[in-house]
Amino acid sequence: MSEQISQQNLVCVKCRVPLTLGQVTLSYMGSNFPVELYKCPRCGLVFIPEALATGKMQQVETALEDK
Amino acid sequence: MNNINRQMAAAERVIGTTASLCPQCLRRIPAVLVAVGDDVYLEKSCPRHGRCRAIIWRGPPAYQSWAAAGQPPPADVATAGADCPRGCGLCPGHRQQTCCLLLEVTGRCNLACPVCFAAGGHGDDDPGLATIETWLEQLMAGGGPYNLLLSGGEPTLRDDLPAIIRRAHARGFPFVQLNTNGLRLAADDAYVRELAAAGLSCVFLQFDGTDDAVYEKIRGRALLAIKKAAIARCAEHRIGVVLVPTIVPTINDSHIGAIVRFALARMPAVRGVHFQPVSYFGRFPRPPADADRFTLPELMTALERQTDGQIKTGDFRPSAGRHPCCSCHANYLVAADGALKPWAGREENCCCKPPAADGAAKARTFVAKRWSAAGNSRNAAVPCPEVVTASLDAFLDAIDNRALTISAMAFQDADTVDLARVRECPLHVRHHDGRIIPFCAYYLTDRQGESLHRPRPDPERRP
Repeated sequence: MSEQISQQNLVCVKCRVPLTLGQVTLSYMGSNFPVELYKCPRCGLVFIPEALATGKMQQVETALEDK
Repeated sequence: MNNINRQMAAAERVIGTTASLCPQCLRRIPAVLVAVGDDVYLEKSCPRHGRCRAIIWRGPPAYQSWAAAGQPPPADVATAGADCPRGCGLCPGHRQQTCCLLLEVTGRCNLACPVCFAAGGHGDDDPGLATIETWLEQLMAGGGPYNLLLSGGEPTLRDDLPAIIRRAHARGFPFVQLNTNGLRLAADDAYVRELAAAGLSCVFLQFDGTDDAVYEKIRGRALLAIKKAAIARCAEHRIGVVLVPTIVPTINDSHIGAIVRFALARMPAVRGVHFQPVSYFGRFPRPPADADRFTLPELMTALERQTDGQIKTGDFRPSAGRHPCCSCHANYLVAADGALKPWAGREENCCCKPPAADGAAKARTFVAKRWSAAGNSRNAAVPCPEVVTASLDAFLDAIDNRALTISAMAFQDADTVDLARVRECPLHVRHHDGRIIPFCAYYLTDRQGESLHRPRPDPERRP
């Protein structure tokens, strides 16, 4: 999905309602990171932008994975 | 080994078999690992020079549970590769790829330490820049890039060290670190500026303690002020510094906590402390007794005791990509109040071990990230508008500016060498004839100071 598309216009395919910004906790290897991401207010499906997944989240994962 | 077995007391248990070398003649001989309580000895018998035994592990954590974290030992270690390690370069029996490759760029040194793995201070004939360029070409063609460690002797005696670093980067080696005693770094600001401009990634600074009595004993002169000045210059020019203490029993094993506190006070310029319990190759005054040895578990225990429990033995893990008994490490975030919090995650009870190639690659990447200067190692993350990721940003900032890596490496000498460990080694040295040789196999010497692979330094040429 192109990152140019505004996340404000995303709709949950299952519930047919627009995603809204909400608190989400990312957890990996025992560490928790509270963030605000767009998610479905009904079923809780979270949209993680590609840039976040391949950027900061990947950096954090790599750091936690240690050597 | 039957005779040895018969001679062992009931309290002793053989917990493993391996192969080693006779410390007198460096002949390859069978060896056993013998547990006596929490201690483990390497015991062996040379048909010509008789039996010998050396402590390799003293106290908790238990050797066997720690060793179990690594790859299973090679079943054929006692029999395979009959010319191992005399037949090095790397052979099909070697079980690890190169993580860090050491290049000896000079034999000269400006200290005359009683303890020196490199037995530096000899030779006037440094390899020329063109020769080193040829080495770099060959290394890239032979499987590089690797993390490079420029060593000696004392590499900063070369005025053209910045040019060597530039050539290494130009040939595609992304991470270049420097082994140094810091004398020239402390005294020559323009030189440090040149090293930084050339892209020096990290300084591995010999740093044995926080008072001059230690330096006078180990290095032959007072050096603390010089170390401080070298660190300050590296900080000014944004070169990461890792403190490298050689730990010698009764001389500086009581300074371990103080060294950590010294490092904490100089973060983020100081990126880590890499302890090296003393090993007896190169230059040492007399054959070592067990009391002269300081093992990895003792170091971990000392770290806990001397930091009032801020660092805990349980924080440490064997490092990836090498034999578990060769090294350990722990990573910490330092809170505003100075408290240390281990930050590396860990999958407990994981049954899968990374293949050798993955282990070496992970270790290379980890070292490059954690030991480079703050802010130099992080890839610029693509910004993510419309979402709030402050906690991720804070964590990434913390590991860049408020993280300290505590690590250690237990080098093996002729008394303690276990060829199963040598075969797992990812730290290699380029011999001047082009062979790539595991570090301990390259530097270990027999009782007469003769090396398997390294030309013997001329003692008349020492400073």
